[in-house]
Amino acid sequence: MPFRRSLCTQAAARHRRRIQWPVKQVTKSNFSEALAEIKACILNSDYVAVSFKQTGGHSAPWHKILPIDTAETAYFKAKHAAERFQILQFAVCPFSVKASKLIAHPYNFHLFPRDELKVGMPSYSFSCQSSYLTAMAQEGFDFNACIYNGISYLSKAQESATNVQIGHLSPSSCTVHSSSVHSVADSLFTERIRSRVKNWIRACKDSNKTEDALISSLRKLISGSEVYGSRPSLNIDVCSECQIKLALETLKEFVDVVPLQLPKRGAGVQAVRAVLTSSQEDKNLLEKELQHMEQEQRERVLGFREVIDLISTSQRPVVVHNSLNDFAFIHSKFLAPLPLTMDEFRSSLHLIFPHILDVNHLMKEIGPFEKMNNMPAAISYLERRFSGSIDMDISSQDTDKVNIHGHNVLRVCHLFVKLCSILKISPEVPEDGQSHLSPSLPRHSNIFNPCSSNSTNPIEDDVRIWTGNSRTISINNLVFLWGFESGISARSLKDLLCDTHDVFSEEFDVRMLDRTCAVVVFWTPGFAECFLRIIDSGEIISTKLTGLISGGLKAAGYETYKRVCESGLRKSDLADCLDQAMDETEILSGTVKSQQEQPVIYWNNDEMINLNDL
Amino acid sequence: MKRSYLVRALTRTRNRTSLLTRSLCSSASQPSGADVALKNVTKSNFEPALAELRHHVREADFVAVDLEMTGVTSAPWRESFEFDRSDIQYLKIKDSAEKFAVVQFGVCPFRWDPHSRSFVAHPHNFYIFPRQEIVGDGLSYEFLCQTSSLEFLAKYQFDFNACVYEGISYLSRSQEEEALRRLDSLYKDDSSNASSNFRNGVETQLISMADILFAERMKNMVSEWRAGLLREGGGGHEIQGNLNGMSQKFQTTFFHMHPALVVNGLTSRQLRLIKLITEKHFQDLAYVYVTGETSSRQPLIVYTDSTTDRESLMREVKACQRKEAETKIKAAIGFRQVIDLLSSERKLIVGHNCFLDLAHVYNKFIAPLPSTAEEFVSAFQTYFPHVIDTKVLLNLDDALLRIVGKGGTSLSKAFGLLCRPIAPSSSSTVLAGKPRVIVEVEVDDQRFPNWNSGAKHEAGYDAFMTGCVFSQACLHLGIDFSSHAAAVDLVHNEKLQKYINHLYLSWVNGDIIDLKTGKGAAESLGSTSVKRHHPKIVFSNMILLWGLPSKLRGKDIKDCFCQVFGRGSITSIYHLDETAALVQFSKAELVSDFLILKDTLGRDNDPISVLHPLSRIFESGCVRAASYETYKEICSSPVSELLFTDQAKAVGINWNTRLVEQAIGSENQDDETCEKERKINAIPICQDQGKTSPGTSVSDTQSSCHFPTDELVDSFYPSEAQMSK
Repeated sequence: MPFRRSLCTQAAARHRRRIQWPVKQVTKSNFSEALAEIKACILNSDYVAVSFKQTGGHSAPWHKILPIDTAETAYFKAKHAAERFQILQFAVCPFSVKASKLIAHPYNFHLFPRDELKVGMPSYSFSCQSSYLTAMAQEGFDFNACIYNGISYLSKAQESATNVQIGHLSPSSCTVHSSSVHSVADSLFTERIRSRVKNWIRACKDSNKTEDALISSLRKLISGSEVYGSRPSLNIDVCSECQIKLALETLKEFVDVVPLQLPKRGAGVQAVRAVLTSSQEDKNLLEKELQHMEQEQRERVLGFREVIDLISTSQRPVVVHNSLNDFAFIHSKFLAPLPLTMDEFRSSLHLIFPHILDVNHLMKEIGPFEKMNNMPAAISYLERRFSGSIDMDISSQDTDKVNIHGHNVLRVCHLFVKLCSILKISPEVPEDGQSHLSPSLPRHSNIFNPCSSNSTNPIEDDVRIWTGNSRTISINNLVFLWGFESGISARSLKDLLCDTHDVFSEEFDVRMLDRTCAVVVFWTPGFAECFLRIIDSGEIISTKLTGLISGGLKAAGYETYKRVCESGLRKSDLADCLDQAMDETEILSGTVKSQQEQPVIYWNNDEMINLNDL
Repeated sequence: MKRSYLVRALTRTRNRTSLLTRSLCSSASQPSGADVALKNVTKSNFEPALAELRHHVREADFVAVDLEMTGVTSAPWRESFEFDRSDIQYLKIKDSAEKFAVVQFGVCPFRWDPHSRSFVAHPHNFYIFPRQEIVGDGLSYEFLCQTSSLEFLAKYQFDFNACVYEGISYLSRSQEEEALRRLDSLYKDDSSNASSNFRNGVETQLISMADILFAERMKNMVSEWRAGLLREGGGGHEIQGNLNGMSQKFQTTFFHMHPALVVNGLTSRQLRLIKLITEKHFQDLAYVYVTGETSSRQPLIVYTDSTTDRESLMREVKACQRKEAETKIKAAIGFRQVIDLLSSERKLIVGHNCFLDLAHVYNKFIAPLPSTAEEFVSAFQTYFPHVIDTKVLLNLDDALLRIVGKGGTSLSKAFGLLCRPIAPSSSSTVLAGKPRVIVEVEVDDQRFPNWNSGAKHEAGYDAFMTGCVFSQACLHLGIDFSSHAAAVDLVHNEKLQKYINHLYLSWVNGDIIDLKTGKGAAESLGSTSVKRHHPKIVFSNMILLWGLPSKLRGKDIKDCFCQVFGRGSITSIYHLDETAALVQFSKAELVSDFLILKDTLGRDNDPISVLHPLSRIFESGCVRAASYETYKEICSSPVSELLFTDQAKAVGINWNTRLVEQAIGSENQDDETCEKERKINAIPICQDQGKTSPGTSVSDTQSSCHFPTDELVDSFYPSEAQMSK
């Protein structure tokens, strides 16, 4: 095809000077071959590292996961991002560690949510952030290759939705448990089918005998017989799910008949087709044929999901860099829509991926480390601090090509092995073949770290309040403030608040969440509640505070913030969102009083949730 | 039986074909002339191309435009339907223009050349991309992509790499103003309390041991450097001794006649520490961040003689930075310069079915779209006073419509029918023997007769085709170009007057909007070709149902309704998507009757309710109903969920039935006013009561209110008398 590739080849050339690792690039054209390859690789490896490129992260500063986020709110934020943005490139790298040597098989899949089935799936639309696309362009990403030749996919949930639409071909999938309750109409329906099929079978079998050809064909015509391949078939019209079941059930009574469901254009099943086979062997043959057809269709329909399924069924530990974000995306794109709560998410994920290892978390085991999210920096930092480099052995067939994509997954592997060696964890899996995980690793698996701010702020406008190392604060002590002059600095806001009320006489901190909203941390327990009460009741003691409040200052507790996160981060300014949530609270108050136990959040970014605690 | 389904299917296909036909034909048309690439403009050649375009636009008689976007509808139910009232049509267009990005912009100025008695066209194809060039207030530019639209673009070999890598960025007028305002406030603050702000504005803490050690080392190094300066009287002292390892990172230089230390190759955290110690320990040193000669920003530690010297230096630096930021903003305007050019030249703009294009132009390059079509067109007219739409022209002029036929008003078909040289075989067509306007193409000072860009389907080529169609159409309307010595004044030509500034608000239902008034204009045009609905759509007779089970067909709904309200009570049923439908009653009263009935059925669980014919629809318990106004409210939300039911939930509508005003009993006197407003707003047929209630004016923001169902049921409890009515 005459693609205009001049630009992208230039772009590739520009990045040629970087270290080139051979990463196998997979698009639609070589997908089936790569699928077979990677299947073998996954089964021969001890771990699978994954890493991907998405089209966006967070659209407003407070949409990213902040240290003040609890596991729950962090999940809401990750969910929001995962639902809107798209994965364009997904790197998978099965690897093992043998004699402290890293053996890796990196594959980089180009994805595009092309609607292969013309049913509006996998994705009607998706959001892009131009900064993310620009960053991908800087790395030489080929958007044409992605959109023209990217591999499509369907999530598990989408697959089950389309299964009805495509129609189950194979009879094995038509398992019908007989329903006990039958209405009169149902019985009539079944009875009619039974007699019709009986007549039809008789007509078909009779035709072998010496009957008048005209009569035989007339009989066939009357019974509505058609031909499926070389076999006679009969269509039974159905108009509801219940009737499909009944028809299938009735057809089971006939040993020579194989039932098929005919899909309707759009959705649903239009008719059940009964195919008459001549013998048991013939029946087996037909069933095998149908199974094969379904398998082929499966591959065409599922696309990249097959790789996810391979990783899942292999039960290999999955190594990622930022587990909450990465698995929110994986869950939403390849499994099912994200559930409403973190707990459901964890348990749903646990069924599919029993062992998840987060290098970010392992990194924190070593100690507080500023740039955890910048992997090259993390690697070079660790290389400098801890001696002993890792040997990497990368196997790939096409080493002659310039491969600029999917290197991150190798960095994840590298970092993982390095961290294991620093933490004195042996990543080598014992040869007994029983366990998929090295004995010392379970302690570190399935931990979701919600706090991963990947801010690389320039030095000027960066006023952060990082107090102490892991000083924790209950969310009860946090108060969200908004309605002040837009663009004010945290310091000025703190100065402004300082002597307005007694609650500000003790230690407190202010941190800006975006230009419209700040969070105030009261280090003295009870002060936050007290402050909220004062704002609420309007019994103002100091004139200065009155001035602020009449200027539009508003305050809310953590509950309101949580509701904002839960409702889906609709607006870009946190103040607008909090305002809206407050309005809703006023209406709800009196009817709903949520009395839940208040989790403790960590004022430093060290909170972990352990999946195994479930 | 499947009428309502058909309606939906038809509108769908029509939408799709209108999208598709535009390009299908270009592939069908044979490349007849020289196969020349049209003028592609990207970041790299934008400046010279713009200069050239300025000249061409100034000389042009009209300018044809066309846009390629990353999508059209953000959800299936956001497609244009025939049962959309004009305000809803506008809301759908607004949503589309706000969410999707423009990736290609075709501009093609046409000039009448009296010597060659032909039009000369200069097709330009701009790749644009909303790259974020200036750092705003933390919000990042985001746009939606419709998967099918990207596939469509890919099918016609759109170069996405050119767009992302080389696309020209832009700032709208309002974005520019906002950026300048932000800059203003930033530097005003700083000048008023520059020094104080500077001293305590930044708070970096020494957390780790490494930080403390590094800071100490830096402090020593800087003080040594300063001591050296003082010793040698400001000579070119280089750091020696134990700091050898660092010396390549620190070099002495001069900044504004002051000795300064360049700090290179450090991380941002280290720089922050250096800044901290400089400000904390050295009164006569200033830490500044300036743009060096090489245009990359670099940090400097500058030695100053006195506090006043220091202050003046800081002011100087600030002024420089401000100027630099302003230049950056000016540079970020980018592609908007083309729009400014078209606007300032006040030329006739020609587009094909271009209302959505214009909405994009306004939203991307001028300001956020206003909330009503009237406001939008009046604002738009101040920038572009003369717009003509070839689709309107082809459909409303009977002679033209005869030539192209009903199905031939899509751009590429019309181009094929009107502008392609007559093949000998097609001599039997209506066009045979008629004169035609010759259009020549000029790309980079080269002229081509019978130009064809090949099979490429691009904005620049589409703009060219639009202009060609327009020039031929003018000829058919009897506008004689060749008889005039100079160019024809198209803007004031009386034969075009009734078409100028008339655009299709929605092609699906043929509604035409007059840009001068913002009103519908179909009647004034008096054309026969305006589509008529059968049966006529009466919005006040409609109710909106959502949360429907996906298997429920239009016929089922109709049957149930007819059992309750009588045969003929339902005029039509339109599906929005599989979860929602609009039901049109034959009489307006039935709307309120139905809503009351629905509410009662939802509340009572007695056998009568269960056996009620309507319970077949409502049995799932999640079916909601409301009047047509709710449809508008849901459309006006910035959210776009895939299914209408989810959308309604996201907008915050989660009551069961939105009743009409009469149904509200006397017991809910002390309800939230907000709630009252909502109800009143939602019901146009209860105007008299609405007026007495305070604050009935706007309801946009009220979509945020949530009601728990129980509370609502109480408040909506209708009195017995009303029930028996």
